[in-house]
Amino acid sequence: MKKKVKARRWIQIAFFVLAALIAVNHTLAESGMAIPFVAEASLHAVCPFGGVVTIYNLITTGTFVQKIHESSLVLMLIVFGAAILVGPIFCGWICPFGTFQEWLGALGRKIFKKKYNRFIPYKFDKYLRFLRYLVLIWAVFITAWSGKILFADFDPYYALFQFWTGEVAVTGFIALFLVVLLSLFVERPFCKYACPYGAVLGLFNLIRIFGLRRNADTCISCSACDKACPMNIPVSGQSKVINHQCISCFECTSTDGVCPVAGTLEFNTAALKGGKDEN
Amino acid sequence: MKIKGLTAGLTFIVLMIGGIVISVATGYWATESSKEPVKYETGDFAGEYNPADIRGSYSFQDIENTFAIPVETLAAAFGLSGEENPEAIEIKVFEDTFGIIDGMEIGTDSMRYFVALYKGLPYTPEEDTALPRPAIAILRKEGAQSADELAAAEAKSVTLDNFTGESAAAATEDHDETVLAEIKGKTTFAELYDWGLTAEQVESVLQMDAGPRTQTVRDFCMEKGIEFSTVKDPLQDLLDSL
Repeated sequence: MKKKVKARRWIQIAFFVLAALIAVNHTLAESGMAIPFVAEASLHAVCPFGGVVTIYNLITTGTFVQKIHESSLVLMLIVFGAAILVGPIFCGWICPFGTFQEWLGALGRKIFKKKYNRFIPYKFDKYLRFLRYLVLIWAVFITAWSGKILFADFDPYYALFQFWTGEVAVTGFIALFLVVLLSLFVERPFCKYACPYGAVLGLFNLIRIFGLRRNADTCISCSACDKACPMNIPVSGQSKVINHQCISCFECTSTDGVCPVAGTLEFNTAALKGGKDEN
Repeated sequence: MKIKGLTAGLTFIVLMIGGIVISVATGYWATESSKEPVKYETGDFAGEYNPADIRGSYSFQDIENTFAIPVETLAAAFGLSGEENPEAIEIKVFEDTFGIIDGMEIGTDSMRYFVALYKGLPYTPEEDTALPRPAIAILRKEGAQSADELAAAEAKSVTLDNFTGESAAAATEDHDETVLAEIKGKTTFAELYDWGLTAEQVESVLQMDAGPRTQTVRDFCMEKGIEFSTVKDPLQDLLDSL
């Protein structure tokens, strides 16, 4: 593992701890025992997806849906801005629930070795990946319909960081259990098949400024990039990788990740030197 | 131009911190609802906070900050002086703490009613809203209400000695779903329709077009300058008749 991908690990840990601290502190604040210098906001208030589901309400009534505030909208815009530049880097570097699944995945990898994350043939799997758009449509629709964030009742992320509060629905715990179980077989199952926010951010892969480009002239076809990709994207078969599932983790690249040939796989604004964008 | 992972990660963090700092500096950043009720726009009380807009999420401290009623007075009025952090008590706990006593309810509306009387501000409480006896005693000594208003409040008083700990939720356990469809401050138009009312029925009570589905009826009333309590009961009657 190269040094800079280790940086991703540290940033992931930092944001996981931050999210956990905010969640715990919100509970403590309600009983007047808040930890000094830690935000007392609710988890909903610091979730950028809240900004997405409240848009309809903002347009039609000028108000936010219950439990969502201006902070969610600000964070949503920041994440969108970053996604225009480098794609869903929020998913790969920041999202605490993605990090949680990666940690479970490390356990799954020890159990299943090379078979891990390869249980579902990609020719079928690539269609299953569109399920998260159905979840997105449903989450936005029921929020617009009810004015409440009903998705929280099915949200494993909310269940993980609020399990002690008594506010988590049984369906949330079931969703969390399923994600934990599936993470032992598949890397980031929630991100791949069900995350509505990942679905939104995934679309930015189609328009991102820094695209993932492969130089076919220098590529030695070792397929290390394919094996390293947590989202099972067949990187080695394309010159310009445009895939709605990319999470900008940089694990495949020659700048930070597993690609052994310098200048062969990079996030770049133009075709790599000596190569060209073919698709 | 290429970008490396660490650069991308740090750029995101800088963007995030910068975005938050800018939104804080411009006063847009908020992680909770504003704890300031709307103000009367016209009439004798123009410019003063309207107790009708007090929300369940307000704490006693928020009430003190906006209506200048000391936390100690509020705690004494609702029999909560013995609590460890009375300033942090949120009004929404009333429903679970007191619930229904003698068929009347001590809830968020009780605080609205108490504040209105204490400050001498106009407010029509909901029909089943109750005030605890200590609140009446405080109003008698310190309230700015008229004698008639005090008499009306006394008629809505309940004694906390009779408080059995039976919560509103427990009290409705034996009732069917129709009874559970109870209009509260956070009830949206969508919920009214989900419970079986038609848009025509709702509009006949409002005497105007209803608001968007996701808007609460109370917010709609505030926006249109209607007392929520004047539409709540007719709507509840319609629901009960379903």
